[in-house]
Amino acid sequence: MSPLELEIEEKSLEDAIAAACEKFKLPREMLEIEVISKGSSGIFGIVGARKAKIRARAKALPLEPAAERAKEILGVILSHIEVPTVIESEARDDHIYLNIVSNGSGLLIGKRGKTLNALQHLVAKVLQKEVGENLTVYVDTEQYRNKRESSLTDLALQLGEKVKRSRRPLTTGPMNAQDRRIIHLALKEDQNIRTKSKGEGGMRRVVIYPVRKGKVPAKPSVENGSAPSEA
Amino acid sequence: MLKELIEYMAQALVDNPDQVRVSEIEGEQTSVIELRVAKEDLGKVIGKQGRTARAMRTILSAASTKIRKRAVLEIIE
Repeated sequence: MSPLELEIEEKSLEDAIAAACEKFKLPREMLEIEVISKGSSGIFGIVGARKAKIRARAKALPLEPAAERAKEILGVILSHIEVPTVIESEARDDHIYLNIVSNGSGLLIGKRGKTLNALQHLVAKVLQKEVGENLTVYVDTEQYRNKRESSLTDLALQLGEKVKRSRRPLTTGPMNAQDRRIIHLALKEDQNIRTKSKGEGGMRRVVIYPVRKGKVPAKPSVENGSAPSEA
Repeated sequence: MLKELIEYMAQALVDNPDQVRVSEIEGEQTSVIELRVAKEDLGKVIGKQGRTARAMRTILSAASTKIRKRAVLEIIE
């Protein structure tokens, strides 16, 4: 992995900081900068000029190299499945997004995204082992994640309407953490209902409850979205 | 090929990759792939509630479907 700490010497302090941001491919806020020497331009910039020296530390792991590595891992796994693929990787704000461009046979998606989720889990696990940090990895193909998100959002809204009409709680089918998150997020703005996950392991579901009028909803129970593993 | 797939995934997951042993018992239609890892790495290839083992089996069946075979992964203790 790329180094997490660097010493940089430049003509001025600003130049050094800019160079650090460039090296880590991170914005200034994500770096911890320790000034070793401020540097001075000396008299008329000739006599006694000293360079500025800083030590820069990345506050977060730079996602860019991790995304590259994730792409490699997925590439090796897919090379053993006889299907022609090209992988695109992208380091997004808080996660790594890998898109598999393939022949569209659906082989890599599987029933209800089973194969895609397996690939995603494995790449995340291997990456976590190598990097020593739990990074969120999304593996996608043929816009599957987007389609899944919109159909789950539709389902959530329909269930939400039913709950409001009947004033009775409703439960979704068993879902993985990623799918449950989509349900929670789809309904979080609605003041008339609240959502909560119930059950253990593979049987975990989302329950949608009606909120009685005039009663302030209790603490919102949206799950922590940064944890893709079983909540 | 299926054997190499399991070998790569297992080695990438464990602390002792040199102790990963994979053998393939080929049948007419079904292959049995046996995976052995160091005792302390067993949890790594199985995962919480068997999630990692299940993921490896799913990927294995995707790979074997493509070559019109069936493959079973056995993790040997």
